[in-house]
Parts: sequence; C-alpha cells; structure tokens
Amino acid sequence: MANMAVSRIKREFKEVIKSEEIVQCSIKIELVNDSWTELRGEIAGPPDTPYEGGKFLLEIKVPETYPFNPPKVRFITKIWHPNISSVTGAICLDILKDNWAAAMTLRTVLLSLQALLAAAEPDDPQDAVVASQYKHNYSLFLMTARHWTNAYAGGPSRFADCDQKIQRLKDMGIDEHKARAVLSMENWDLEKATESLFS
Amino acid sequence: MTVKVKLPQLLLVVVWIFWCWYFRGHFRKMASIVAAANNDDRVHLICRFYTRGMCRFGNLCRFIHPDPSQPTAAGVDGGSQPASNRLHDSHTAAATTSAQTDPKKWVLAPVFVPKNQQRISIEPGSSSSNDNCKDEASASSTTYAAVVVGPGGTVVQSDVSSEETTTTCPYQFNCPYGDMCTYEHNQMCEMCGRYSLHPTDKEQRKSHIALCIQQHEKDMELSFAIARSKDKTCGICFEIIMEKSGREQRFGILPNCNHIFCLECIRKWRQAKQFDNKIIRACPECRIPSDYVCPSAFWVETKDEKEKLITDYKKALGEKDCKYFKKGEGKCPFGNKCFYKHALPGGERVDVGVPKRNKRKIQRADDEILDLFDLYLWDFVDRREFHWLEILSNFTDSGDSDWSEDFE
Repeated sequence: MANMAVSRIKREFKEVIKSEEIVQCSIKIELVNDSWTELRGEIAGPPDTPYEGGKFLLEIKVPETYPFNPPKVRFITKIWHPNISSVTGAICLDILKDNWAAAMTLRTVLLSLQALLAAAEPDDPQDAVVASQYKHNYSLFLMTARHWTNAYAGGPSRFADCDQKIQRLKDMGIDEHKARAVLSMENWDLEKATESLFS
Repeated sequence: MTVKVKLPQLLLVVVWIFWCWYFRGHFRKMASIVAAANNDDRVHLICRFYTRGMCRFGNLCRFIHPDPSQPTAAGVDGGSQPASNRLHDSHTAAATTSAQTDPKKWVLAPVFVPKNQQRISIEPGSSSSNDNCKDEASASSTTYAAVVVGPGGTVVQSDVSSEETTTTCPYQFNCPYGDMCTYEHNQMCEMCGRYSLHPTDKEQRKSHIALCIQQHEKDMELSFAIARSKDKTCGICFEIIMEKSGREQRFGILPNCNHIFCLECIRKWRQAKQFDNKIIRACPECRIPSDYVCPSAFWVETKDEKEKLITDYKKALGEKDCKYFKKGEGKCPFGNKCFYKHALPGGERVDVGVPKRNKRKIQRADDEILDLFDLYLWDFVDRREFHWLEILSNFTDSGDSDWSEDFE
C-alpha cells in the first residue's frame, strides 16, 4: 500500500513540475526528505485578494493510504483567513476531509487552497475570531490579512499604524507574533489587547 | 521318393481347403453385401489399382475399371452428399463398396471386429451414451466410423480444419504422391493460411471463408480494443492499466461516466469506510454516482460497447448461484432484485419475490429505504468475486501469445 502512495506521489511530482502553474510560479512542490511522504508546498497569494504578493508555505504529509485518504495539509506561513487557523495553520477545506476523492492530486489540492484564499467561507470557519471579523468588519479583516501577508509571506502592503501598535506591545516585553495576533483578534484596539495580554 | 515330393504340396492343398472352409462365411457375407449395394446379382468389385491409375492388367483385369465420365458408377460418386448423411448409412453395403475408392468413405470401410464388437460399443467411456447408439452399434457396427464416431453418426468437429482432414488427403500440401494421389487436396485459404478449402465443395468453401471472416473480425475487434486501452491511465494509481501485472490489468467501468480506473483501485475506493456512501459511490473524477463497477479486460469507449459489456456482465452474474440463497437453503435479502441466480439444486429457477425489508426501516420515508437498500445490494455485487472475471481473463490469457508481441 505504501508502495502505491509513493509511486503515485512520484508521478504527481513529475506532473506538477511540468504543469503550467509552475511556469507561472503560482504553485510549487518540494521534497522534504527522501521518504516521499513529507513534502513542502508553496502557493502564491491570488491576485485581487489581501494575500496578493505573498508566498505561503504548506506542510504536506502523505498518509500510507494515499490516495484513498487525503494528504494532511497545514499552512506553515501564518495567515489571517476565516478557514485557516491563525494559530496552528490547520485548514478547513472539505476536500481535505470528508469530500476527498481518490482522483485528486497534490496539484489540485494546492489549486483548491489557492481558490480558498480567494473565496473564504466564513460560515464554515476554522478560526472563529477571523470569521467573525470577516463578517462584521470586513475592511478591518482586509487590512489585517494584508498586514499578515506583509509580515509573514512577503506581501507588499505595509500599515504604519499596525506596526506602531505592535511596537508598543513589543516595548512592553511581548513577543512580536503574539502582539500581532492579539491585536488582530481585538480589532487593533491597543487597550483591549493590552488588557487581554495582562489580565 | 515320389511321396516325399508330393507331401508339401498336399499339405498346401489341405491348408488351402481348410482356409476356404474357415472363411466361407465371410466370402458369402461380402458377396451378399456387394450384391445388395448394387441392386444386382453380379459381384462388383472395383479395381484398387485402376483407381490409382496403375493397374497392370488393363482390360484383362478381373475387377471393374469404372468409367470416370459416369458419376453414377459406384465408387466415383462425388462429394455432393453431405458427410453426415454418408455416416448415417455407415452399416449399409453401398458405403462399404464405394469406400474402396472414395477416400471420403474410407472411414466407413468394414472393420473386422469379431467377438468383442459388442463389448467395445457399450463400453463405458465410449460414445454410447444413448440407447439409439447401443442398438445401432451392437446390431451392425461393422464400420470404423460407427464404432468411433458414435451415436447418430455425427462427427464431432472440434476445429474448422478437422472436417477436411477426414475427407481429403491427410498429407495435404506435402503429399508424397503428388498428382498421383487418389485423395483430393485442399487449397490454401488466404485468410487463415491453412490448407482448408475443399477444391470442389462450394458449401464447404463458403462456410470456411465465412468462419475466417468472422475470426478476422474478432481479431480486429480485439486489436482495436487493445489499441484504445493500451495507453489508458488509472485515475487513482496513475499507472497505465495495461502495464500492470496479471490480475490487476483490468478496467473498472463505471456505468454513468467515462472516467478510467483500474478495477482494483475503483473497488478499493468504493469500499473506503472513512467516507460517506455518497462520496465513495461517486466517480472520483467527476462525482457522478454509479451503482456498481463493471469489470472489463479492455477500455470501452462508445455507448454501445458499454451497454453490451454491462448486459454481458449482468448475464454472467445471473449464471452464478447466489451465496445467500444457497440453492433454496438460505434466504437472499435482495429478493428478486439480486443479480445472482436463485435456483434449486435441480436447476429450477425460483422467484423469491420482492426483498423483505426491516420493519423498523419501513417507518421511515419509502424513498430513503429504497436508497439504503440499493446501496447494500450494490455493495454485495461489488464485493463478490466474479465468475465472469475468470472468463474474461481466460480470454485474454489464451490470446496472449498472439497479440502481446505486436504491442510490446
């Protein structure tokens, strides 16, 4: 069985390397070790989204029962998205769970994830805080997502206001990522963020 | 002195007299047979050497030299009579006389089976399976054909060419007698390359060519099937199905869509326990649900091919006993919706009626029960080992040596 998983991954690897998306630099797959069971994926943030310009790294673990079971995929790069945990990078996507199909490939998974970045599903959230912000304060969500993209994925947009607030918390001895996460959760309200940090 | 000289001669005479006396019965029998055959009192015996074109006695010969221009003469009778008819008359005298010259009837030549002829004909294992045969054989099985061919006098033909070998020269194209041979030589069939065409029998030629064309069409069909299958990749394991090993080299055809999978993979997918039935019953590529998977040695592309395959498949399943019905001993939960055969040990088919449903389930909505029921039925069909697969694999295995080289 493991044999089938490995031989299929090998074939898929060739397919992804030849595919158009590689040429356009929108997706990429790399080997992590020689076992073919652990891979590193990379997707480009889709255009006209807050993730534009960012490169998002993914951890892909291929189970022995692949392709009869989906690969386990997680964002390594921190991302602000209703269907992706801002803490762990866990993804809520049906095809990676109970809607998997054996004919799907790593390429289709990565493309689906790219599509997920472009079209979030706030009604089926992975990260409830992000989803709530998305629903109730969309402009703030866009800013936060752009900021995260800039901070973690090499996105172009910088927000001086955000950086300032993070710097204030850092001065209080808070770790930068923690400061950013708390501020994002508290809708960039410095007071509330401080409160939740020190209470 | 004189006595000494004459003694051996005397002995010879005595032996000759004894010999004549001993075989008198046979002479009488032969004479009567020949007479009856020709409906004439005169004894007609046709010269064996003349028929081979080498009688040294010419007009002085004691035996008849028949005129070839008279087809009605005994022994020159052409091949217009069907073989089976001739064999029916196996014990008649006509056959025995003409057998001398007509190679087609040599098989009917009288055979000397003195005492044990009865024993042979009713021996178990010989072809005396019905009463008709026993009677015929014991009463008059004086010919080789009657003993060997068996009941009804029909020759069992296993092959296209076997028919010809019994009526024409067994050496065929490399006959050492060449033109001198009394047998007729078959002509080569251009389609199969065998010497299988009778030189004069038009019916035989026609039927042989028809068989050849049929065979050729089959071969072509097979070639096309291989050609369209050989580069097909399974959508699950991504391997070229025709390049997989042995039993894995099979397609699993979904009735409702045209996506390609190998049988092993699609079966495995459909048996996955970790997903909903809705997911695993759907095609992994297009998500169109299919009720079952139809195994096939080759990829089918057109609707007609697919329909034929599925019909054959269901028919083949219908030949196999249901493992729940157990020839009447058990109960099949699928009732008359079951694909498998419900027959008693005697072979009598039984309609077990509509499937019995669980009372608890009946309280639920009707449609839902039916859906559930169908799912289980198809599960059952999917998971059984198929008889039909064996037939299919035999088919491909047998043809293996013929075509595999062309495509490697």
